Amino acid sequence: MSDQHILSAYDRDLESIQAMIMKMGGQVEAAIRDAVRALETRDSDLAMKVRVGDRAIDELEQLINEQTARIIALRSPTAVDLRVVLSVMKISANLERCGDFAKNISKRTGVLLESPPIESTAATVRRMARQTELMLKDALDAYIHRDPQLAESVIDRDVDVDQMYNTLFRELLTHMMEDPRHITACMHLHFIAKNIERIGDRVTNIAEQTVYMVTGELPTEKRAKADHTATETIDFGA
Amino acid sequence: MSDATSGGAVPAAGSRRHGSILQLDARTKKRNAKEARFRAYGLGAIIIGLVFLVTLLTAIVSNGVGAFQQTFIEVPVYLDPQKLDKTGNRDAAEMAKVSTFGYTPLIQQGLLDLVDREGIDAPFEKAGDMKALISASAAAKVRDYVLANPDALGETRGFELLASSRVDGYLKGRVTQESVERDRNISAEHLQLADALREIGAIRKGFNSEFIFGADASESRAEQAGIGVAILGSFFMMLVVLAFSLPIGVAASIYLEEFAPKNRLTDLIEVNISNLAAVPSIVFGILGLAVFIEFAHLPQSAPLVGGLVLTLMTLPTIIISTRASLKAVPPSIRDAALGIGASKMQSVFHHVLPLAAPGILTGTIIGLAQALGETAPLLLIGMVGYIATNYPDGISSGFLDPNSAMPAQIYEWAKRADPAYYERAWGGIIILLVFLLTMNIIAIILRRRFERRW
Amino acid sequence: MNDMTLLERGVQTDDIKISARNVEVFYGDTHAIKNVNVEIQDKTVTAFIGPSGCGKSTFLRCINRMNDTIDICRVKGDILLDGEDIYDPKVDPVQLRAKVGMVFQKPNPFPKSIYDNVAYGPKIHGLARNKAELDEIVERALRRGAIWDEVKDRLHSPGTGLSGGQQQRLCIARAVATEPEVLLMDEPCSALDPIATAQVEELIDELRQDYSVVIVTHSMQQAARVSQKTAFFHLGTLVEYGATDRIFTSPEDPRTESYITGRIG
Repeated sequence: MSDQHILSAYDRDLESIQAMIMKMGGQVEAAIRDAVRALETRDSDLAMKVRVGDRAIDELEQLINEQTARIIALRSPTAVDLRVVLSVMKISANLERCGDFAKNISKRTGVLLESPPIESTAATVRRMARQTELMLKDALDAYIHRDPQLAESVIDRDVDVDQMYNTLFRELLTHMMEDPRHITACMHLHFIAKNIERIGDRVTNIAEQTVYMVTGELPTEKRAKADHTATETIDFGA
Repeated sequence: MSDATSGGAVPAAGSRRHGSILQLDARTKKRNAKEARFRAYGLGAIIIGLVFLVTLLTAIVSNGVGAFQQTFIEVPVYLDPQKLDKTGNRDAAEMAKVSTFGYTPLIQQGLLDLVDREGIDAPFEKAGDMKALISASAAAKVRDYVLANPDALGETRGFELLASSRVDGYLKGRVTQESVERDRNISAEHLQLADALREIGAIRKGFNSEFIFGADASESRAEQAGIGVAILGSFFMMLVVLAFSLPIGVAASIYLEEFAPKNRLTDLIEVNISNLAAVPSIVFGILGLAVFIEFAHLPQSAPLVGGLVLTLMTLPTIIISTRASLKAVPPSIRDAALGIGASKMQSVFHHVLPLAAPGILTGTIIGLAQALGETAPLLLIGMVGYIATNYPDGISSGFLDPNSAMPAQIYEWAKRADPAYYERAWGGIIILLVFLLTMNIIAIILRRRFERRW
Repeated sequence: MNDMTLLERGVQTDDIKISARNVEVFYGDTHAIKNVNVEIQDKTVTAFIGPSGCGKSTFLRCINRMNDTIDICRVKGDILLDGEDIYDPKVDPVQLRAKVGMVFQKPNPFPKSIYDNVAYGPKIHGLARNKAELDEIVERALRRGAIWDEVKDRLHSPGTGLSGGQQQRLCIARAVATEPEVLLMDEPCSALDPIATAQVEELIDELRQDYSVVIVTHSMQQAARVSQKTAFFHLGTLVEYGATDRIFTSPEDPRTESYITGRIG
């Protein structure tokens, strides 16, 4: 199969929406990184910047939606072209949610700055964030290089994020039980962790879309769910 | 789909709305019978047509082929200088004074001597008795030879001379010893002599090139008559027809088809052209007589006038076929030319006309072929009845001197009393048909060669 | 967000090339075009869409006065080409057609060589002074028609021997050879297979850089693919005219919406 359409404008259209996805991906990656760094370094300006920057991501998503609608209306894409267009729409929606999570992290960072830091949790949050960031980067790489193996590995790696979240969840519970004054901070930290975990899930969706775009089929649901917090109980007697 | 049908059973015969397709129903049988009958009619029509054609061709060939053969007598003639050159100084002018009458006795004597020498038993003593065997044209042939070769005087030369038409007919089986009983020109004894001469090889049949290239002869010399001059007459007529009808016809049709506004007047012209094509040719003949001869005082019996009359007759054919071939050029070609800014005339002359050319040429050739075979109009302008004995000398006399045409010549021969001419008429028809066939083949070749697909 | 408009080469100019005002066309007693007003931009592909018999082809043929060849056709109103009325009595339609080229529904190369097909227009308009110049014009036109590489080795074989799509591109090259300012295309792809169609569409998209292209098409998809402006005709009237993106994503007139969604024919 030739890479090029006879109608070169069609190629330009498809390339441009994918370029927008990459641009959006870059912005989301930066937002996540900055949000986590702001939390670590207790940098309220950086947190503010992330919150403001989310608007640009939203606008970009809006533009992508318009352009994909336009392509569907004008070019009636079929087969791989159709999958590209559909995956672009879904990926942009997922990226937009990721951006929202980053913004939410920044918001909570603002609150956390008013209370003393909870020691020992920072490393776990950092590792989690690092992991999801890498996953997002790989997911976008897999997308642009049409690499389903890489995408599958991204999906598999989500287990690690879930497990880190579990660990952090228990840690935070312990902190809160030790000292009820930590409850506010711990709740916010928990939501931050939860947000990062959600980002991981969204990245997994993006990777799934990549597999779908390349192979035409969604990956089979085989990955282990490692987020057990929904059924977690604490034995207060312990 | 497969799983949808795999479980289903074959429908029972009772559930069919119509009968089995393996059995013909009454309607189908009736329809098939009708079709078979129609095919039989068509085949029958074609067979009848073919039978007629074959009969016609056999009749023409069997009757006409004799005209291409002629009987010749080989006679040794003593060219007596006493009689042929009385002055003895071999002066051409003096020798020319001796007419064919001076030669006839020498030829007859020569033949008599031959009979005597060969010891053939014949009841003839006088040289004049040999007259019945030899064509009246023989003397002229010997005379021409002598005038061309004065040195031959005093010698005996062998000449291959035309036999008389009776002898010729006898050899071809047209004349028998019984049939000549009441013939004043020839007797049964002559025919017996002819048999004897044939045995010694003095009389034999040969190919008759004179028939194709020669001129017409008087009524009494059927053996000498040829169609050559009439062919030339027809040729000049066709030149006239081509020169007039092609440009006029093509110009008229281009104007009508491409430029003329579509209104009552052009409709009327169109209808009239179609009607003209159906007008009997004799009407054109009388028109030609009135206009070209009585009004314009052009010479009678001339190929020019014949050609003009035939032009009138051919024009509608050419116009109709030209218009048809112009119409057949797809409008997309005209659009294409106009679309890139060609004018109407450019589009017609650069694109439409070249595409229509094969059709126009074919139509023209068919029209010419039709004109070539036309007799009736020639009747009225005097090309029939004229005896074409001389070749025209030069181009202009070819157009203006009286002449005949092939079909007119055939008609003329068929009218004559001598049965030898009957054979010539059929022979003439063969030549005419060969010409028509050639023209049609040229038309087909042109069409094949120049026809382009678009 | 400016860097994101790389999607399209975009309409480069807002210059009006053709402007039609209150155009009415009659075929005998039939009122084929009713009061059409439209402004066609330069260096833009404008598509006319609409059901059969809606008058889009008729209107197209008004723009280079091809309707003049039909006796019963009458045109009222003004059509201005660069501000000049093409129906002015002083205008010679032949001269006009050299400026407004036309490509037809059925590929109609002349039954001559490929070279002669393209050279014909320049020859009759005297665009070349000698053979070398003519050769150059022919090559340029064939390149412009995106067919040069396919035919350069057989310029003197007949144009009718090419495939349908090649013939149509040859016809476009032929139209381009006379250096027109406007190219009218009357359903140029309706006789072509999808691949040939795509090639012609790509060519049209390229031609937009130099010409104002007006294309009539039965295929809405084609209009969507190649045009920047779309005009929807219905029953002889111009129902809606606007940017193709807008017409195909959110048309204003309910008739346009019905037509492009396949609800009326």
